[in-house]
Amino acid sequence: MAATSPESSLSSFSTTAYTPSTTAYTPSTTTQAISSSGFNFPTYTSFPPFYTLQPNLTTRTHQLELWSTLISSYCAYYRIFRLSLSSLPTDLFSNANIHRSLKPGDVRTVLDHMSKPENGPRIDWIPSTTRNEQSSSCYVYWKTPGEWADALHGWVDETGQKGTVLTVYELREGDAVRSKEWRDMDEGMLRKVLNVLVKRGKAQIFGQEENAGVKFF
Amino acid sequence: MFLRQLDLTTALRPSLYDDESLLFVQDGVGLYEGKFKIPNYQNGHAYLTSHRVCYVDNVEPRKYAVAVDLKEIERTEFYAGFLKSSAKITLFPKATRRPASAIRSPVPKYASPSDALVRSAAPSPRSTPAPARDVNATWVCPICGFSNPVPANFDPSTANQHTPLPPCQACGIKPPLAHMIKASIAAMSNRPIGASQQGEASPKHQSLTPDGYPAKESASLPSAEAPSNQCPRCTFQNHLSLTTCEICGASLQSAGISSFQALRPESPGPSLGGKSILDDETIETIKFSFRAGGEKTFLERLKTALVQRKWLLQSAPPVPRPGLSPAQSSFGPFSSGVENQTRSSTPQQRVVGIAGLERRGAELRQNNQVVIGSAFEDLEALMTSAKEVIAMAEQFANANGGGDTAEARSIISDSASALGLVTTKDMLGSGSASETLYITELSRNLAEFLTDDRRGVLRREGGIMSLVDLWAVFNRTRNGIELISPLDFEKAAIKWDDLRLPIRLRRFKSGLLVVQERSRTDEKTIASMLSWFREPQYVFPPVDADLLGQTFGRGVTAQQTAERFGWSVGVATEELEMAEETGAVCRDQCLDGIRFWENHFTHAFNEPKLKDAAEMMNELRI
Repeated sequence: MAATSPESSLSSFSTTAYTPSTTAYTPSTTTQAISSSGFNFPTYTSFPPFYTLQPNLTTRTHQLELWSTLISSYCAYYRIFRLSLSSLPTDLFSNANIHRSLKPGDVRTVLDHMSKPENGPRIDWIPSTTRNEQSSSCYVYWKTPGEWADALHGWVDETGQKGTVLTVYELREGDAVRSKEWRDMDEGMLRKVLNVLVKRGKAQIFGQEENAGVKFF
Repeated sequence: MFLRQLDLTTALRPSLYDDESLLFVQDGVGLYEGKFKIPNYQNGHAYLTSHRVCYVDNVEPRKYAVAVDLKEIERTEFYAGFLKSSAKITLFPKATRRPASAIRSPVPKYASPSDALVRSAAPSPRSTPAPARDVNATWVCPICGFSNPVPANFDPSTANQHTPLPPCQACGIKPPLAHMIKASIAAMSNRPIGASQQGEASPKHQSLTPDGYPAKESASLPSAEAPSNQCPRCTFQNHLSLTTCEICGASLQSAGISSFQALRPESPGPSLGGKSILDDETIETIKFSFRAGGEKTFLERLKTALVQRKWLLQSAPPVPRPGLSPAQSSFGPFSSGVENQTRSSTPQQRVVGIAGLERRGAELRQNNQVVIGSAFEDLEALMTSAKEVIAMAEQFANANGGGDTAEARSIISDSASALGLVTTKDMLGSGSASETLYITELSRNLAEFLTDDRRGVLRREGGIMSLVDLWAVFNRTRNGIELISPLDFEKAAIKWDDLRLPIRLRRFKSGLLVVQERSRTDEKTIASMLSWFREPQYVFPPVDADLLGQTFGRGVTAQQTAERFGWSVGVATEELEMAEETGAVCRDQCLDGIRFWENHFTHAFNEPKLKDAAEMMNELRI
């Protein structure tokens, strides 16, 4: 929970505990710094009204903004690429210390808010396989596909692999990407990232689903 | 002295004397002097009371309100109206002057050329109607030396040994009558002398100045005097805006008016002619023009009031009691001493000790029995002895204060207050306009009821109460007579805004109607709620276990809010939701209901941190 020191009364109320959460949002450096203690939840997660969707629209906007920041930083910390409504991380949407949790219906509202184009989008609903059914899982873009594409292309450029053909499996689980952020990325999401590169004219995809290959330019 | 300035209550109605009662109200009334309309007095309410005929303007009630004492009316004349001219009632003042008023008015009765000069030099729109009463009259208590104000309705010319005199405010001893009369005559003779001195000074000054600058000089004369808002009693130099002396508490009214003149030396000239019509000395007749009807009832009740002469009641001897000999009750008007009152009511042969006390008690009981018996014999008798019966009811209420239950006490005091003033439908005339008039009068009644400090209706409810509660409380005070229908009640409440009364009706989002003081705004309510929410954050020393409280303050339910502020739960819910709507608080819905917290979403988590802390300190200081 929030690491509010006992002597914090007024000034530390929003300063100390809040800072780690913002830095956690930009990965790699700080992830290691606090990895020992687990994800550091910001102060507002122990604010009881945080778990009730506010009827006042202005307040609700602020609340949803806080939620999307929380979800993004949480997923970035635990490297979660895909959320499914049926199996949500328990400590993300509830706080056992104050006995509050966000209702499942409200979770969808929060995710819907994040999926709007004007908010990033910071998640993307995965269309469900059966028709006329709400999708129940989504990709979480703690980095946007554009940013991922830049990172991927930058890595290819650095390692001098332009012109070679790499398989999707290699990009996800190969030895060369072991230390990279996008390792173990959800396959569907990786495809979206590659499509961005294709659109930019920097890559080309060959072959079928299982053993597709990518050639970078 | 025919037209007097009128004091108004908070509800902008004439404030009545102790024994005065309201007889009739009519709106859409204008005033005429002779054949001419009096400017600014053309659209208002006419109030007929047992002592006065009052005019209160609709647009500027505080500025344009005058009254005519019934006792100064010689006769009335009725004009029924013809084609476009509406019905009018003309009041003729009494021509004869009493000796006391001769002292009062040394100024010549008809305007002389010098008079006109004085007027043009120091025009005073406010002082045109004669001042209500001599506000500066004081009497010094012979026992303790405290100077008390002479009561407003004390008239030295009609006072006799039966006039009720107020006791000294400091020591509680009643003054001798002669003392009081001397004091009030002295006060009356003082004031016009001061005024006439000023009147003489101005033209003299004007003649002395070189030609070409008379107006400028005369304008600077009062302003040189004006900054000294000197107390007429203790000569302390008060600040200009004060109305009572800081040191001795004497009223600075006359001084205030003179400073008012100095502040506005250039009054528009042309309207002077119209205004000087209102001057007390030149007035010959006053006409009330009834543009919205109601003149017949008004005239009828006016005539009854003139016949009844209620204003004599206060100085009239009490109803002769069977036990007293006539010689006893007829004391000379000035032979009174301090014990005059007590001596007239005690029997001649003195009985001392316990026997005397018992005998007095028995006599008192017997006397009360006789009064009650005769009062209820028939209605006429009840009317004439109403005063005594009311006094007795009040006395019973006081006497029972110790022993009985609170409920019984409140019933008794209610029954006494029920005899007081309320507007009833039969006080108003019939006709199409009377309905709206009834509503406005009811509206003013309600405002008076709510602002009455003795009842403290609003205070008891935390400054806010629902309209339904008020309806119940108000109707209960009427004791089952002339109850108000909910429809009329709501209409009257809606009128508060139009009439600019100090009470306002507020509609919550859910449609709940509540009543609160006009000065009480949402901002104030929210500020007081937030400071309560923040209490745990600033507790010193901090409670270690209450980490949540230290961080976010306190979450409250509507129930707790209701208890804390003395509101009803419904009102508390509405107030909280109002605050939520403005974004000051936010809600937390959990299994045991909804709690409200300060809204940290918008304030705390998003803005730069240092500024945030500073802001919160600022908010606290509010």
